[in-house]
Amino acid sequence: MMIRAALLLLILFTFLPSVFADEVGETALDVQVREIAKTLRCTVCQTENIWESGAPLAKQMRDAIRERLELGQTEPEIRAYFLSRYGDYILMEPPKHGVNWLIWVAPFILLLVGGFFLYKEVVHWVKDTPTPPTQPLQPLDDQARKRLERELES
Amino acid sequence: MIIEIGHFSTIVALVLSVFGMASSALALRTRNPDWARAGRMAVTLIFFLLSAGMLSLVYSFITRDFSVLYVANNSNTKLPFFYTVAAVWGGHEGSLLLWVFILSLFSTLAVWLHWKTQPAIMPYLIAVECAVMFGFLALIVFLSSPYERLIPVPADGKDLNPLLQDPAMVMHPPMLYMGYVGFSIPFSFAMAALFSGRLGEEWIKVTQRWTTFAWMCLTTGILLGGYWAYYELGWGGYWGWDPVENASFMPWLVGTAYLHSVLVQEKRKMFKVWNLFLIIVTFSLSLIGTFLVRSGVLTSVHTFATDPERGLYILLFVGTIIGIAFGALIVRSAKLKSQIEMDSLVSRESIFLFNNLFFLVAAATVFLGTLYPLMIETLQGAKVTVGPPYYNAVFMPIALGLLFLMGIGPYIPWRKASVANLKKSFSTPLMAGTAMVIILLITGITSLYALAGGYVVAFAAMAMGMDFGKVSQLYAQRNKTNIVQGFLSAFTANQRRYSSLITHIGVLVLVVGIIASTIYQTEKVVSLKVGDEFTIGDYRMKLDKIHEVEGGNWHAQEGVFTVYEGDTLITELRPQKRIYPQTQTPTTESAIHAINMGHIFLTMPEVSEDGVAVARGVLNPLILWVWGGGGIMGLGVILNILRPRKKDE
Amino acid sequence: MNKGWQITLILVLFGLFALFYQGLWGDPRHIPTVLIGTPAATFEGPDVETGQTISLDQFKGKVVLLNFWASWCYECKVEHEDILRLHQAFKDNPDFVMLGVNYQDKLPDAQKYLKDFGTTFSHVRDVKGQLAIDYGVYGVPETFVIDKEGIIRFKYVGPVMGPVYTNLTEHVIRPLLNSQPLASTPS
Repeated sequence: MMIRAALLLLILFTFLPSVFADEVGETALDVQVREIAKTLRCTVCQTENIWESGAPLAKQMRDAIRERLELGQTEPEIRAYFLSRYGDYILMEPPKHGVNWLIWVAPFILLLVGGFFLYKEVVHWVKDTPTPPTQPLQPLDDQARKRLERELES
Repeated sequence: MIIEIGHFSTIVALVLSVFGMASSALALRTRNPDWARAGRMAVTLIFFLLSAGMLSLVYSFITRDFSVLYVANNSNTKLPFFYTVAAVWGGHEGSLLLWVFILSLFSTLAVWLHWKTQPAIMPYLIAVECAVMFGFLALIVFLSSPYERLIPVPADGKDLNPLLQDPAMVMHPPMLYMGYVGFSIPFSFAMAALFSGRLGEEWIKVTQRWTTFAWMCLTTGILLGGYWAYYELGWGGYWGWDPVENASFMPWLVGTAYLHSVLVQEKRKMFKVWNLFLIIVTFSLSLIGTFLVRSGVLTSVHTFATDPERGLYILLFVGTIIGIAFGALIVRSAKLKSQIEMDSLVSRESIFLFNNLFFLVAAATVFLGTLYPLMIETLQGAKVTVGPPYYNAVFMPIALGLLFLMGIGPYIPWRKASVANLKKSFSTPLMAGTAMVIILLITGITSLYALAGGYVVAFAAMAMGMDFGKVSQLYAQRNKTNIVQGFLSAFTANQRRYSSLITHIGVLVLVVGIIASTIYQTEKVVSLKVGDEFTIGDYRMKLDKIHEVEGGNWHAQEGVFTVYEGDTLITELRPQKRIYPQTQTPTTESAIHAINMGHIFLTMPEVSEDGVAVARGVLNPLILWVWGGGGIMGLGVILNILRPRKKDE
Repeated sequence: MNKGWQITLILVLFGLFALFYQGLWGDPRHIPTVLIGTPAATFEGPDVETGQTISLDQFKGKVVLLNFWASWCYECKVEHEDILRLHQAFKDNPDFVMLGVNYQDKLPDAQKYLKDFGTTFSHVRDVKGQLAIDYGVYGVPETFVIDKEGIIRFKYVGPVMGPVYTNLTEHVIRPLLNSQPLASTPS
């Protein structure tokens, strides 16, 4: 009986707070603000976006985004506004136009060109190397096993 | 008084570094071993003198001697004892001293350890190490001395940057520097090989453990930095592609390429010039990293604004070292006949080459991204930002390519692999990859990166598992034991290989952690009053109260949140909004609860005067795999270093 | 290594060090503005001292100097005397207006600052920070000059003093004051 009462109390205490608590959530607007804020750079804090930054300017910029969204502006419009005030610097990544294409494609060009040259070199080396006599496949005898171990030792 | 002893010791160390260079030059010219011994003495003395320098600085911090400018700038009476020691490398001057101190320690160790076996190399080694030490010591003595006095003596100092008051940050710089500096030993041996013309495999075999050790330190340092950013910066991420982070990542990438490529030279005596090139690039990137961080050329959260004079000096010094190194390489390589023998395109040596290509392209990408703003500014006068979205987009394909190679490389034979064998070895792993993609799709995961990552990880894991299984079985059969014992004897018989594979397993775990915690991170930001609650994922967080907390050198508003899953209480989280009154710096201290290998990460960045708090909840799935993977990598490397010596080593 | 690789290597190294050398002399915090030559955003806000509304539209047809500052900003104190001197030099010209913009500040702090250091011109409060964003401000002090047609002609980040002061007064403000506005119709 005592135990049951205690259990009841325990359950009550666990549930009660949640019964009376106000649930707060994010609105669609909050989410939109976040999505935009994550693409803009906090200009005073170096390589941090205004969403993650704790700087006062970042907060004001977030508020500005919210205000503009409430006025009915779209995401591209808001981004264009910030771009017109701060230039490319405000974007978290180099905008894909003009000379900036270079940095976007450079890694892959390097990979392709490097891969091509490497492939040609290796093929060239292979040709220059006399092929060793091929050994017929044998069942795994002691010698082969030893060789296998040697091969694995690397 | 004590600090003057340190100052004087450092000046003497500077003089001795010049003496060390001179005596090793004389040792080479006169062939008199006494000069080499004098050089060894000089290096050893430099280490003891710099120890005195470090100790004098530590002493001044512990005794809170604010008549020392550096102490007054980086600590105060309320700073906890633990952090006073860390404050030694909390600023520009002290971290340079730590750099050269570690360098002197490693040089001394290298000189004494290899004295008997490498007598001919020693004068070169001493000269190179002394030259690098000279550069840093001159910088410390003439341009940024931590020993300067401050008159009049302030009653209290400023404060160590609150962001740096964190246990991970205490260990992060020393580990990182041990990594940078550790590569100076293989670098010096490589230079010795170039200057002396002994371009055989010897220098690589001798420095193999040094390289592994340096790599381990650098990896640990980078991971600690990520860990610190995660806990201290409060945005729920661990890697921000900040220029300072990139500066440590670039030598790591090329160093990793080197670590693999030397294996080819050891086994097959090929790629001599290439390995020399790689180690020179690795150490150059360590030096360039120091230049970038210390000169203020790049803006970053961490950069210290410094005068161009200091930057110019570092540039000249770094440029000289790098110029001499590459110059020697160019001159020598012209005479080096390449003796490359390749039996097949499909062989382990060729996989290693492609591994190197990917690592170098990765490093070049980070390098380009880091310097691109500087280039654009110089050429066009405009400013751009190269931030995480760029790196995430271009880095992912490269990283996945590397992982794929990691699944192939270790299981493909040297010299030549037959297509039939390849089919046999890799059909199961390929199927495992496909199976993983199907499983992921069934569980509702559709992100392309997650699927590609899952495929590659499953492929590599299966290839690795099959290899372990096969070899364990082989040993079990031979020794007539069970498979676990078979595994253990396989491991001990070939500790170098299998400890490396453990490191590879760590990489896989790490990658799974990174992919999951990056792509499947959920976050929610709400404003709430005491008594309110919010839900994120399966968890409900209720703000019970907000109260004031006092720390030694800070005070904070602490939110007390109870976290429920369904109706079960899981834990209590107490994020803080701290103020360090000395510098008026606010920090947000995160509260973290580990659950299902992931984290519930909670911060409270704002509390308004009317008691409305802004709470930011982040769920980071599988983030423990990131740290766990790092731990496994470390274990593998330690087992590698501690392996018993073989006859030919 | 063949000749081609050697030359590439040397060129890359040279390029790199030239870039680093050049980079040493640049100010990493300098951000070139994209606003020069564009119409100045209009604004209104309360006067720091009186609370009356100040609007940029009031000053149409005049050369306007905007100086963003805050009481917590050290470099603003550094430039304060020169800013007052600048106002002294041009205040008699009917075509010249100078406005301070108080940025990210608490009102009592700002008022105390003006009382302590003195002022001879009006200051508008940027209550929500919107004004600063409109002008692409990222730190204080920042100084803008708007010409008679309402186009931004000049921007400087950092304290106005020394050569910057001379350049601003002699090569920016004076020529702008002397130029006649194009026949713009007041609307």
